[in-house]
Amino acid sequence: MNCLREACLVALCAAFGAGVVTAQRGVSPDEFLDLEPVLQAALRRAAPFTVAIETFGGTRQVQGKDGPMDGEMPPQPRQAPKPKPEPVPKPEPGPDEDKKDDEKKEDDKKEDKKPKKPLVAGGFKQTLGKTTGIVLTADGWILVSRFALALEPTTILVTVPGRGTFHAQRAGEDTSRGIALVKIEAQDLPVPEFADPEEVKVGQWAFALGRTFANDEPTVHFGIVSAKNRLFGRTLQIDAYTSPANYGGPVVDVRGRVLGMAVPLSPSGRNAGVEWYDSGIGFATTIHGIEPLLTRMQAGEVLQRAWLGVQFSPSHLGPGAKIAGTPKDGPAANAQTPLRKGDIIVAVDGVEVKNGPHCLMLVSSKLGGDKVTLRVRRDDAELPEQEITLANAPWSEQQHAKDADLPASFPLPEKNDGR
Amino acid sequence: MHQLLSVLCCLGSLAAQTRDYGKAYSFAERKPVSKVEKVIDGLLPSIVKVHGASGVRTIQAYGTGIIVSKQGHILTLDQVMIQKDRTRVVLHDGSVHQAQLLPEDPALGVRLLKIDPSEVDGELRAVWPPADTEGLGHTGQFVVSLGNCFRLAEFSEKVSATFGVVVGRADTALRYRMSDVKYDGELILTDACNNPGHYGGGLFTLDGRWLGLNMRLLDSTETNTMVSAAIPSTDLLPYLDEYINGKPRQEEAKANPPVWTGIVLFDSAGQRSPPAYVERIVKESPAAKLGLRPDDLIVRIDDYSIRTCREFRDILTKYAPGQTVTLTYKRGTKVQQGALTLAAEPAK
Repeated sequence: MNCLREACLVALCAAFGAGVVTAQRGVSPDEFLDLEPVLQAALRRAAPFTVAIETFGGTRQVQGKDGPMDGEMPPQPRQAPKPKPEPVPKPEPGPDEDKKDDEKKEDDKKEDKKPKKPLVAGGFKQTLGKTTGIVLTADGWILVSRFALALEPTTILVTVPGRGTFHAQRAGEDTSRGIALVKIEAQDLPVPEFADPEEVKVGQWAFALGRTFANDEPTVHFGIVSAKNRLFGRTLQIDAYTSPANYGGPVVDVRGRVLGMAVPLSPSGRNAGVEWYDSGIGFATTIHGIEPLLTRMQAGEVLQRAWLGVQFSPSHLGPGAKIAGTPKDGPAANAQTPLRKGDIIVAVDGVEVKNGPHCLMLVSSKLGGDKVTLRVRRDDAELPEQEITLANAPWSEQQHAKDADLPASFPLPEKNDGR
Repeated sequence: MHQLLSVLCCLGSLAAQTRDYGKAYSFAERKPVSKVEKVIDGLLPSIVKVHGASGVRTIQAYGTGIIVSKQGHILTLDQVMIQKDRTRVVLHDGSVHQAQLLPEDPALGVRLLKIDPSEVDGELRAVWPPADTEGLGHTGQFVVSLGNCFRLAEFSEKVSATFGVVVGRADTALRYRMSDVKYDGELILTDACNNPGHYGGGLFTLDGRWLGLNMRLLDSTETNTMVSAAIPSTDLLPYLDEYINGKPRQEEAKANPPVWTGIVLFDSAGQRSPPAYVERIVKESPAAKLGLRPDDLIVRIDDYSIRTCREFRDILTKYAPGQTVTLTYKRGTKVQQGALTLAAEPAK
């Protein structure tokens, strides 16, 4: 009996003791002494596939949403002859070739006469510093941030740690995710392990690596995962500092697995940079699960966010999304049965639409060229179900003006760089 | 027996609850303090507030200093506000001392101040660059930065401690406001922000070793973004030794005579310098020996990135004739490397 009581008391004391210890561990900065080796190990694991991107030539500065401040091209020498195996259908931009392209376009009398606009705005001057990239496949596909290519460089060089520097050819990109692909001629490159976004927890450690400053080892910023499924399921939000010093670099977990790539993004698709990067709001585009898109990008496709071409009535609270207007160049206005003001979108791809923002959410997670099946009610009668091919989200000054009328919770269309 | 057990179980679950949800956090109850807190407590007496000459509104007349000797030597960043007869130092106990100025180190941009130790209550607590530099200041090391940011600490108030991580070590080109900062050497970059007033404060590891002296909040010319940098404490050692321990410093290397490569770049006059494409190669020059050709793009000299023709010229001034560099260049779609032995400028 006594023996049992003693055992119980010991257990009780242990419980209390554990409580005290836990409480103290939970508030002590000493925890960071434990985290340090973890961070170091993650850094060591991620360093081999974190590559440096150097670019040469191109317009010299990119600033603001109005386009390049110094749009002039530096004098370019003759272009080096291109190799036969050309994985990139897009020619390297140079002044001569640009001219040729323009002439061709004029001959074809095709649209797209808009001036080329820079890919990345954000109110800071683009510089010539190194940026970062991630090895995607062992045979030389490198994932970079579109930020790295904002200057439309004539030459891209990729330095793989311990393997040397390679000339890179540009392939496709995904403007909605802020990523682009380049190809180098190399084999057996170290490839990362990607973390499944489903398993990522808000609050877990996130380390952002960059190659801008460091010569030998990547730089590191640390923080936590702040939110998941931002920007229509495309990115994680992190509070580690992201800046031009680590754009394009991997954001890894404690095991060195890639959670995503640090890229300048914002919900509106413009001004992704200076207002955001220093404020503990960073985005890491999730790469796991977008393999089909990567295949399309490898083929040189430029993917953009989808645009249905409808404006929703903010006063209609649901169910369904009531259309307030359809821009005449939008897919909705040019559908087989054109949608019009007053129609209510009931379902997108079989998903019941709750309200306007829900409908935008469903559409915006798709890319231009994707198809959606819409069920639409008009005057208490439902129209026959129809499939609409979504367009690329346009970006023009008119669109800009219209954006101002949208409620704040409505996402704005992705910027169109005119290509 | 069963009753006793159930009571005990009840108490046990209560204990578990206390552990999980805790009560309101109380400073009075918390002991002992953590290792890191002890380290910061131990360092704070070595950090002083520095007040100097004011005048221009955009230049702060306050900063931070670090006591580096018991004889009253205080190291701080050499700034406009540090003026003779107008520099005062406030110790952690609130006492104010007039500081004398010792010669600055122009290369590092730091200066020693000297106060009279006999005027100080008790003994000065000095810090010194650690002798054991093994694993010191490597990327990913957690750090605490101490300084009087925004002049928040007055009289005997303690300076601010901010927490961060060593982001990396780099010799990036820096800029303060509009002018370039001349600093030739590797800096420790952190994400513990060097706010105004934090300048001259110290960067320490969580186990209390002195890592570096905080610089001003600078812009990196490579990214156009702000970086918080610190001068590594080990780089400060020669200057400290010279003025505190009287050890003479080694003669500094003189500027190199100009070198000649025989490379003529496709350069243009004006503000913006284009990428370093080769226009032509002078016959029988070092570059001709290497086999460089017109249209090659020079991308690197040793580990220095060459983004522009100007950078090519600037980097070459770091070398003397006779030295051999590894030149990385792009020809077509191939990146190649070769050894280039630099020659002296040929007589005209």
